Amino acid sequence: MNTSAPSMTASQDNGGQTRALLFALLPVAAVAILPLLPFVNDYIIAATVRALIFISLGQAWNVVAGIGGLLSLGHGVFLGLGCYTTGILFNHYGIPPWIGVWAGAGMAAIFALVMGSMTLRMRGVFFALATVAMSLAMVQLTRHFVDLTGGSDGLALKFNGNSWWAMQARTPMPFLYGGLVLVIVFYAITRWILGSKLGLEMQAVRDDETAAAAAGVSVFRTKLTGLMLSAVMTAVAGTLYMQFYMAIDPDAAFGLSQAIQLQLPALLGGLGTAWGPIVGGALMIFLSEVTNLGATKLEINGLDILVYGIMLLFVVLRAPKGIVGFFMDRRRGR
Amino acid sequence: MMQAASTMPAQAAAVALDVKNVARHFGGLVALRDVSFTVREGEVMGLIGPNGAGKSTLFEIISGNMPPTKGSVSYFGEDCTNAPAYMRRRSGMCRTFQKVRLFESMTVEQNIRVAASQCLPEGRNAHDEVASILSQFRLEAQAQRRPSELTLADRKRVEIGRAIAGHCRLLMLDESMSGLTHDEANHLITEILALNRTRGITVIVVEHVLSVLAAMVNRLVVLHNATVIADGTPTQVANDPVVIEAYLGTKQKALK
Ligand SMILES: Nc1ncnc2c1ncn2[C@@H]1O[C@H](COP(=O)(O)OP(=O)(O)OP(=O)(O)O)[C@@H](O)[C@H]1O
Ligand SMILES: [Mg+2]
Repeated sequence: MNTSAPSMTASQDNGGQTRALLFALLPVAAVAILPLLPFVNDYIIAATVRALIFISLGQAWNVVAGIGGLLSLGHGVFLGLGCYTTGILFNHYGIPPWIGVWAGAGMAAIFALVMGSMTLRMRGVFFALATVAMSLAMVQLTRHFVDLTGGSDGLALKFNGNSWWAMQARTPMPFLYGGLVLVIVFYAITRWILGSKLGLEMQAVRDDETAAAAAGVSVFRTKLTGLMLSAVMTAVAGTLYMQFYMAIDPDAAFGLSQAIQLQLPALLGGLGTAWGPIVGGALMIFLSEVTNLGATKLEINGLDILVYGIMLLFVVLRAPKGIVGFFMDRRRGR
Repeated sequence: MMQAASTMPAQAAAVALDVKNVARHFGGLVALRDVSFTVREGEVMGLIGPNGAGKSTLFEIISGNMPPTKGSVSYFGEDCTNAPAYMRRRSGMCRTFQKVRLFESMTVEQNIRVAASQCLPEGRNAHDEVASILSQFRLEAQAQRRPSELTLADRKRVEIGRAIAGHCRLLMLDESMSGLTHDEANHLITEILALNRTRGITVIVVEHVLSVLAAMVNRLVVLHNATVIADGTPTQVANDPVVIEAYLGTKQKALK
């Protein structure tokens, strides 16, 4: 191939990094100045907040599935733990979400620890199935503890108007900045994981468990750590979800279409890459907004799920490494 | 656990590996039946046998990937039959696979770094260890490549580099020479013998054919139909009537 590659990349490294930084700052700046633009209304800001929320959820799933290679189909469990924990603590005990978020994260960590210890020694398929079973069990649990959770009707946050303390607002604008910060923090976490010892171990386990063990990696511990990290991230994003949507119900947390929406950003954008869930999540929400507009006009229900299906099919067939992976391969000339 | 006994008298080499009465069944199939042998520290031992003799299965059991149906494995005097594979690796028991298994999404450097960062002795850092492995196997130019961009010979060398990175006392190689050209194989043999000499690594080499091993090993174990039929120096084994009868056909053919 290209024999001069090593020296070329060496000399380009600095310019490449500066360009990458600019490239990263551009979307951040675009979101940050969004409310100042003349044609932007609350509708557009709310849609952007939705995108940021699903990007952050996608970033969390990407850690376990993209970097770690563990197909968790039941990540709604951790979303639900984040939403319900903050919601219940606030409604019933008056504890603000600033504290609730850590309680939710702690619940998710404990749940991931227990669930992981029971399922992560199984083969991958069984782990995936176990996560589905876990989601179904959570639906029953929320229905059972109806006093706390509101059962099938769901749990609506008590509204406090504009309140920093209650992490609530009448307009979507504060959530725009909250979401932006969360996405940036999760991006930094993803980059850190990818370059860390843990990240290398997770990728080794993803590529080949037997070879990873033969390299001295504790496969089980690596999987468990990845799952717990991802669960905590999902629950934290769940708190933002709860504060923005102001309500959660079993279907929104543990249902099938939510499970798909948790996975699509990373799948579309590129599994295991830091940019994948960002690109994929933005695209997913953009397309879902467009199809929702179309669906109301045409009076078709569930059009967005159909569009998701088509997108997924396209990615699987034409760009199995996602949009980011596709362009990275092209740049590398493969 | 499994810290090797370093208090052995200097004259007698320690027993690095002691395989005792190991059997392995796959349903009705007997892949190994009552296999016993020992390997002393510093030895380069060849393990040969025809297709399906059970060589790879034996490696799986020694390295902890698969439990034996019967029998036990000791490593430097400690029973490790029930120790998980990654713990054995961390105590310096290293191996390669018959079909090369690298982390395909990672660079050559990262492949080696994963192992180096698991089992480094106190005071050494992973970066230096990776650099030393890369230079030892002359893989510096390929360090940032993915495994899929390498030749088979280089893939095998990366796998050996990953196998010994960090801490290695016993290295088990499963048909490292197969699929290589004559020159590549000779080159690899030189590198393996250098590991034995400079790092004092005990080596077990699995091959199909005796000719590859004759010049390399000081001891040969022959596995045939799931059991050991000969154990001795290459000359002893080549002249063993049982071996000639059962496995090699004729002595001439064997030494070709
Ligand atoms: N996981 C398994 N399940 C069932 N049978 C197996 C398994 N692994 C190996 N075998 C069988 O055990 C026997 C020994 O296989 P093994 O791979 O150990 O032989 P080998 O000496 O390494 O042969 P080769 O030279 O072809 O690599 C073979 O009959 C093989 O089919
Ligand atoms: Mg074999």
